[in-house]
Amino acid sequence: MVLALLLLALSARGQQRPSFTMNGGVLSASLPASVLQDASVRKQLASGLTTTFLLVVREGKNLSGARMEVRYDLWDEVWLVKRVEFDGKVDRQRVASPEALEKWWRTPARLLLTNADRVVLQVDLSVLPFSAAEEEDARQWITKSGGVGTATGGGGGIVDALIGTTISARPITSFRWNVDLALR
Amino acid sequence: MTRTRSLVTLLAAVAAAALLFWYVLHQVSGHWLDVALRPEVRQALERSMEDQKQLRRLDPSRREVYRQRFEETQTLLNRIEVLRMNREAMLHRFELALVLVFSLGALLAAVTIWMRYRRAQERERAEYLERVTSLQETARRHAHEIKGPLTAARLELERFSDLARRGASEQELGAAHDSVGEELERLARFTREFSSFGGMGSPLLRRESLGQLVEEFCTTFASAWPSLRLEDTGGDAVVCVDRDMFRQVLVNLCTNSARAVGEDGRMTFSIVKNGARVMLDARDNGSGIPHSLRARVFDPYVTTRRIGEGMGLGLSISRKVMLDHGGDLELVSSSAEGTVFRVTFGVGAC
Repeated sequence: MVLALLLLALSARGQQRPSFTMNGGVLSASLPASVLQDASVRKQLASGLTTTFLLVVREGKNLSGARMEVRYDLWDEVWLVKRVEFDGKVDRQRVASPEALEKWWRTPARLLLTNADRVVLQVDLSVLPFSAAEEEDARQWITKSGGVGTATGGGGGIVDALIGTTISARPITSFRWNVDLALR
Repeated sequence: MTRTRSLVTLLAAVAAAALLFWYVLHQVSGHWLDVALRPEVRQALERSMEDQKQLRRLDPSRREVYRQRFEETQTLLNRIEVLRMNREAMLHRFELALVLVFSLGALLAAVTIWMRYRRAQERERAEYLERVTSLQETARRHAHEIKGPLTAARLELERFSDLARRGASEQELGAAHDSVGEELERLARFTREFSSFGGMGSPLLRRESLGQLVEEFCTTFASAWPSLRLEDTGGDAVVCVDRDMFRQVLVNLCTNSARAVGEDGRMTFSIVKNGARVMLDARDNGSGIPHSLRARVFDPYVTTRRIGEGMGLGLSISRKVMLDHGGDLELVSSSAEGTVFRVTFGVGAC
């Protein structure tokens, strides 16, 4: 069942807003294409690193969300995309064009299970420049397989440890939408 | 002086911390992080990746090889990119760690300085106590040395007056008079000993045969110390020496030894040459110097004798004499089998 939803959103940045659908007690969100068109996001999507979109939904004390990962394969010149929904369901695809990417992007992501008539949500979308795997790979590289250790000799271990633990993905941009949804 | 040393220590600690800061920062930012930031490195890696793609088109049969190279390069590029995006955080963390290290170093320096200051204070107190104790001992010895002859002279003088009143014979009066004179002479000897310590002149150095000086000394002073037999082992060397002062050194050494040896005491003199350096070893077979006194044996007023038997100035005078000769007087060894002092002469022309 698809319901028309009323969005009473207090959105930031003047961006387009997500649209929500309810199907079988599961609330899904379709993210606006304007996110992909954001200058910093667009630049990051072409970097070859895995751009990670972390979608966090808060409903009162309940927390839920989904994760999307987009990596441009520079060899085959296609996008490798992955979506992990709130219940752990994983969807992987290869998309060959920007249009196909946008279409995939707008596919609703399943966010949370609810039977309420009305929900007030705070939706946060953080765009991270690389994935956890790439973060770990860089950390391992600098702390073990070369990196600073080679240059600093005996004292390199401490320096490597200092640097290694500092590496983490900080959001390049983020979005927030406050949404009041009447589901019935 | 202590404050200056503390300041120097603190400055050295600050300089060391600053150097460490510069060194490690240079190591980090000067290598991998800077590599990550260099656009030409990134461009070179990107060109390399593009080249592999071109090669794939030109030689499709080796497609997998080019792909592998491409992916390796991309992995490196990704890692560098991750580092570049974390550079500020890394440097911030690193600077924080260095500030902590620096603070710890400063704290340690402060604690070290404080402990050194405390140790210096304690050492100063101990030295002061030692000086005061030494002065007390000196004062006691001085008082005893003066009081003995003075009391005796006063009593003898009273006896002389009494004899005179009673009309004693000239012989009796003469004996009392001589007795007073003897006590006054003891006082004179005491003051002479001090005079020789306080008013020691510079040695008049002349080239002399050391062998001959030692031989003469052993002959002249053969019966000076009944318990001590003087032995000359022979040998010779020419040294620059003030013979009177040198003789006084030997007298002082023998005087000390005579008190340390038993009935069959021996003092053996041996001339030793080491290159241009000439030394004379004086070895006795006495009971040795107490261990507690060995480090201070050349200090004035250090003696094993009882009060009234000597001031403990002999060795300090002797060492001063030999230092004035450009040489030295050292305690080589001392044990229950005997003691060896070494007289060293200066090298060079007189």
